[in-house]
Amino acid sequence: MNQNTKITVVVGALAVAFLSLAAGFWANAWGHQEAREEIPLVDSQFNTPDTFRQSYAELMRIKADLSDFDCYACHDKGKPPPIRYDKNHNIVVPQEHAGSIVMAHGSHDRNNLCFNCHDEQNLELLQTRDGKQLKLFESTRLCGSCHGPTYRDWDAGVHGRTGGFWDAKPNQERTRLNCVDCHNPHKPKIPGRHPAPPPHMLHPVRQVEHATTH
Amino acid sequence: MNSSNSASGAVQTGDGMNRRSFLRASAVLTTGLAALAASLKPLMELEDFPTAERFMQKYYTELTPTEMDKVLKRIADETEAQYGKRPHVRDLKPMDGVEFAYCLNLTRCIGCRKCVHACVKENNQSRNPEIQYIRVLRLPHGSMDMEKAEHHYNPEKVPEPGFFNMPVQCQQCKNPPCVKVCPVHATWTDTDGITVIDYDWCIGCRYCEAACPYWARRFNFTKPFIPKDKLNPEMAYLGNRPRRQGVMEKCHFCIQRTRDGRYPACLEVCPVGARKFGNVLDPSSEVGTILRTKRVFIQLKEELGTSPRFFYYFDV
Repeated sequence: MNQNTKITVVVGALAVAFLSLAAGFWANAWGHQEAREEIPLVDSQFNTPDTFRQSYAELMRIKADLSDFDCYACHDKGKPPPIRYDKNHNIVVPQEHAGSIVMAHGSHDRNNLCFNCHDEQNLELLQTRDGKQLKLFESTRLCGSCHGPTYRDWDAGVHGRTGGFWDAKPNQERTRLNCVDCHNPHKPKIPGRHPAPPPHMLHPVRQVEHATTH
Repeated sequence: MNSSNSASGAVQTGDGMNRRSFLRASAVLTTGLAALAASLKPLMELEDFPTAERFMQKYYTELTPTEMDKVLKRIADETEAQYGKRPHVRDLKPMDGVEFAYCLNLTRCIGCRKCVHACVKENNQSRNPEIQYIRVLRLPHGSMDMEKAEHHYNPEKVPEPGFFNMPVQCQQCKNPPCVKVCPVHATWTDTDGITVIDYDWCIGCRYCEAACPYWARRFNFTKPFIPKDKLNPEMAYLGNRPRRQGVMEKCHFCIQRTRDGRYPACLEVCPVGARKFGNVLDPSSEVGTILRTKRVFIQLKEELGTSPRFFYYFDV
């Protein structure tokens, strides 16, 4: 085989190799640039710092309608509302309050008297067990009068969420939430909620069904 | 070529090649070159070809302030060209007398995954394929066995009875295996305890991903996709600036926020206040108080000696 033929053979073989490579790319033989499955963007409720509920203090701050808290629009001043119990000694929530109040404070329904926290002489005030009267937006101190260790933790920033600046300075403030920004005072246990969607896998290899591994 | 091989006795060219062999060789050569060009087609699809400026960029610690300004301007230009929004890119340095720590209350966590998605939003993570720094595990009560952990849980309501949830992200180790294995020093631990990645220096070898016992590092196998209107314009060089295909990324305690005095995004969104962050050198800080007064601590996979700056605890 002379020099010319050798070159022709080598270049020809290379050409064939490259052509087959090109054909491979053209036919997408290695799955190159396959279209990916659409992943829906997550609902904005899962990435915004909303709290579970809005407290009276928060409603005051955002200047919302506070007419729901005007007790003496219906009640008479100086005349404490009567408290009624059913046969099992459970408090009967009056019909007018039934939509907004569920009595479930404390396990075994032990804290079930309205006037444990509300002032019976002035329904627009709260009162602690030692008789200290507090405004509705000062409810955190009322909670703290019974829940000592939790109040201590809250005070140190350990219980409940903080926000803003960890490096608190005059114009960089650390924001705090009140107890009732998250807890419903009549039913303080935080209810279950739907979780944000689980991660989408690039290549789904298995399906996880609900409530497995019991 | 040797002229004695020519049987035809035609006119010889100066270098010993006759007309026939020239034509034959050039025809084969043209076909060969065309085939080569066609086989290089995937190169044509390279979108993110590095500019000379980026290619010649120096190592992070060797950049002078003027050079760093140029780099930040280049990043802002590139981001604006791609996303149509001019970002505010900063190079934030660690603060003096600050070492960050993170405490997570496992009694409080309900596994709602809000932290995961707040993190994605804050840190400009790819939405498709999904890149998430936080993986929320669901474990059965009474066990810390990672073999029983599940992170694809999707019940109607959380928390589920009989289970607890444990979010895992970069643990910002004091003795980080990922930093040890990086062959190009593209990742290192800063003085405030954050292990950072220089996305312009990373070569994408994924050694760090293999070394991390917490599965905290994420690799951009494809070009990240972020909808233009979802881009967070507050950026930091070592933090949430957009990444390229082929680089590693991970949780950096929201450098663009925390080195500016703010709380990380995952903490600010937690609906149950399970996440606590701060300067562990300050005894009056939240993390200082927790480490001093709370009782049960877990440094995840403590036995490996990585010494995380991320503490899990329980309280009653």
